[in-house]
Amino acid sequence: MSEEKNINRRDFLGLATWGIGGLISLGLGIPAIIYLIGPALKKSASQNWLRLGSASKVELGTPTLFKTSIERQTGWISSVEEISFYIYTENGRDFVAMSNICTHLGCRVRWIADRQEFFCPCHNGIFDKEGNVVSGPPPRPLDRFEVKVENDQLMIFGG
Amino acid sequence: MAYRLGNWLDERVGWRRVWEAIFLRKVPEVNWFFTLGSASLFVALNQMITGILLTIYYVPTPDHAYDSVQYITTQIPAGWLIRGLHHWGASAMVVLVVLHMIRVILYGAYKFPREVTWFTGIFLLLLTIGFGFTGYLLPWDQKAYWATTVGTRIAGTPPLIGDTILRIIRGGEELSAITLARFFGVHVWILPATLLILIAFHLYLVIRIGISAVPNTKE
Repeated sequence: MSEEKNINRRDFLGLATWGIGGLISLGLGIPAIIYLIGPALKKSASQNWLRLGSASKVELGTPTLFKTSIERQTGWISSVEEISFYIYTENGRDFVAMSNICTHLGCRVRWIADRQEFFCPCHNGIFDKEGNVVSGPPPRPLDRFEVKVENDQLMIFGG
Repeated sequence: MAYRLGNWLDERVGWRRVWEAIFLRKVPEVNWFFTLGSASLFVALNQMITGILLTIYYVPTPDHAYDSVQYITTQIPAGWLIRGLHHWGASAMVVLVVLHMIRVILYGAYKFPREVTWFTGIFLLLLTIGFGFTGYLLPWDQKAYWATTVGTRIAGTPPLIGDTILRIIRGGEELSAITLARFFGVHVWILPATLLILIAFHLYLVIRIGISAVPNTKE
């Protein structure tokens, strides 16, 4: 029971130094990591319905570009950012809203009317008019958004 | 295992001799006042780590300095802690460095063969004050702005060369974006680089010469 290990003064002080030093390092190290990754843990801006414009502007059978601006708060800076969507309809009643951001690495795609396809200039990604991948590196079709028409105004849900 | 790894490394880099020279050197019987130098070094280390962390978010322009500091303090998790450590560490550093100097004066530790150690110490004190002066402007709030207005004006009081000194420190006639940017540059590049070199030299001398003993009235 009384199997006491004798620890000399030198070893005790050595251990105490390492112990206290370790505690201080943890006390600064853990907050430092939290501090560094903090902004990454924040959720991005809330989503809501954005008004794009008159639904009658959408040409039948041709993806049409709509631009709108949203206010973004990044860090201590709030800025107005312009974002774009392609709206496609075949019959003027059912609309498809697509992002113009290439699903490969985030460049902006544009509609090439002559070839009837979306083209991404960064790595030659090609999508058809409904956003499906035709060729190139994109892994999935263009992202779609929920869309509705209210009093001839196109609204999409995004942010 | 750790011991064998230590041996393996020691055969290649010879760290044990360095370790022994730094931490296992012989010292005379001294008192707690002899820890003030180590305490200064510890706070300096704290200032370096927290200072580097602050530059992750801080932006040294009149447009963003104040907002980015507020962002660090109120929005970033643990930001208040990192900034607080740097803020209070700065004051602690000045106090500790001065106490360290008083100990050296009262114990006569600046005498032969330690004059060069003393001189490097003087420059380290000046650097510490320089850190305080340049760092004080960086939050770009009212206190910072007017303190630096006054501080640089004081630097401009010597006759003949005063106005030139004032203009060099401010980077022009007025306190401006240029002043803020150069105070930042001096605070995070010039002063730390100089400080590290001088600390290394100061410590080398402390280790090479050994520390002084407490003066004895019977001698």
